[in-house]
Amino acid sequence: MEEARLPMSKAKRDRRSKLTSFLFVLPYLAMFLAFLFFPLVYGIYISLNDYNLLSKEHPFIGFANYTRIFNPDSAMNALFFEGLWNTIKFVVFSVPLLVIIGLALALLLNSLPGRIRGLFRTIYFIPYAISVSVISIIFLWILDTNSGLLNNFLMSLGFDPVPWLTRQPFAWISLVGATVWWTLGFNMIIFINALNEVPEDLYEASSIDGASAWQKFIHITLPSIRPIMLFVVITSTIASFNVYGQPYLMTRGGPGDSTEVLLMGIVDLAFEQRELGMASAMALLMSLIMIGVSIVQFKISNRNQEGRKAR
Amino acid sequence: MKQTGKKTGLIILASIIALLFLIPLAWMISTSFKNDFEAIAGGLNWIPEEFTIENYTYTLLGEEVDVPIFRWMFNSLFAGIAGTAIIVTIDAMAAYGLARLDVPFKKYLFPLFISTLMIPFVITFLPMYMQFSNMGLLNTYAVLIFPYTANAFGVFLLYQFFKSFPKELEEAAHLDGANKWQIFAKVVVPSARPILWTLAIFSFMQIYNDFLWPLVATNTPDMRTITTGIAIMQQGSFVSSYGKLMALTTIATVPILIVFLIGQKQLIKGITQTGIK
Repeated sequence: MEEARLPMSKAKRDRRSKLTSFLFVLPYLAMFLAFLFFPLVYGIYISLNDYNLLSKEHPFIGFANYTRIFNPDSAMNALFFEGLWNTIKFVVFSVPLLVIIGLALALLLNSLPGRIRGLFRTIYFIPYAISVSVISIIFLWILDTNSGLLNNFLMSLGFDPVPWLTRQPFAWISLVGATVWWTLGFNMIIFINALNEVPEDLYEASSIDGASAWQKFIHITLPSIRPIMLFVVITSTIASFNVYGQPYLMTRGGPGDSTEVLLMGIVDLAFEQRELGMASAMALLMSLIMIGVSIVQFKISNRNQEGRKAR
Repeated sequence: MKQTGKKTGLIILASIIALLFLIPLAWMISTSFKNDFEAIAGGLNWIPEEFTIENYTYTLLGEEVDVPIFRWMFNSLFAGIAGTAIIVTIDAMAAYGLARLDVPFKKYLFPLFISTLMIPFVITFLPMYMQFSNMGLLNTYAVLIFPYTANAFGVFLLYQFFKSFPKELEEAAHLDGANKWQIFAKVVVPSARPILWTLAIFSFMQIYNDFLWPLVATNTPDMRTITTGIAIMQQGSFVSSYGKLMALTTIATVPILIVFLIGQKQLIKGITQTGIK
């Protein structure tokens, strides 16, 4: 940017211009530092302290919180790894459904006549607009053993009522079902866009070769939407790792502790037992695991990609 | 002939799936007009035998139990609107600066911002709680607004837009003697309006619907948001009054559903634009 009219030296003009430009970034930078960067550093620091909110002293204890988590005799070990295990179960149950059904719905919508496509897309997408507490309470009501809509429907067909929220595996089925219902639309939208960007002439060429619809799907559609598929898998995995509201409101972590996910354990540790240091250590480990899983998913997808090219 | 048959089959399938998406919401509304006896008795009647609006008058006006629903609604809407206004403003400025202006260290700043998109929320919410607690700001609007403004999503979304923004418009304004701020306000922002709306709708929905953060960062009845307030009622006074709970969830859902239906196009655009590329 030149300010030809002002009689200033080039260096001075340059500095002025940079300063003005910096002011554009400054407000966001301030928020970023205060509410993202600082908490990040502060969280690492807290995790190295014996930080109980109820006591006045918060001594620095190095990695003691972390060694306690990894010490099999410690109660913290059980809390962390049982919670992690329950979270992983939820991830493993929910992510394949979120990805596969999301893609299936996108394919279904794309094969509908254009006039009604928008209507159905809106309907499938609506739950995404609603908060997790509303979703959980609606499903809590629908899945109620005695008065719920689902059991009343099943009983009218002659089946016995199912303890949807108080017995396994039904509790997992309920949590996963409610989650799929809630967030499926988001993945579907991403897939619709990806499908629309597959070049039309690829399909035309294979039609001439006499390929069936299934062959087209396997050999053209899937390879073309591969990067989007990876994106959906990673974002769905992260979202499922962060699961909290559904088990907190629908099953309260039960039956037993079977749906007590890691984030529930961390929140409980921090706000009921006031063990901020230990809870921060667990939150950090959980984040590292999430980042690690994303990287592994990314690597696996890339390796397959290269293998395909080599062939 | 066969083609039409197949199309009809697909439409029927799509309609059945649509019902699965609509039934829970329809049941919520249906239950909200039933009295507690009829709700608890179960059954499958969609039209209440004894149609009543008492659940709504009870939750809105408050009788034996005081439900500060207007306050919660105000908190959610205020935090949502204020937070959204801040996010759109500061993200647009930062993204424009980084994409187009000679910001010092911009080579490092943009990657630094974007890399935090990978950082899970769990890593920051406990220290952020401590931070606000140390400053004595728990149970204030600050806690319901500012944490969302640090999210790099908007900077990322708008950066891509400003990168591909035609230079000619800016240059023409510059020749007319406009400075950076004037160019930004009079040329750049007006042409970025659609994408700014996309960011606004995203941000509003995120703040209005957030659950865990307002749940831990507020604990007085006055400072709850609507999403946390109804969770408190579900565990408290309304524990098995499903008629009242459904009235509450219906009221909570109406504003966000309106925003969603109006802003759907922008929302979809935002999802697909940041998706990849």
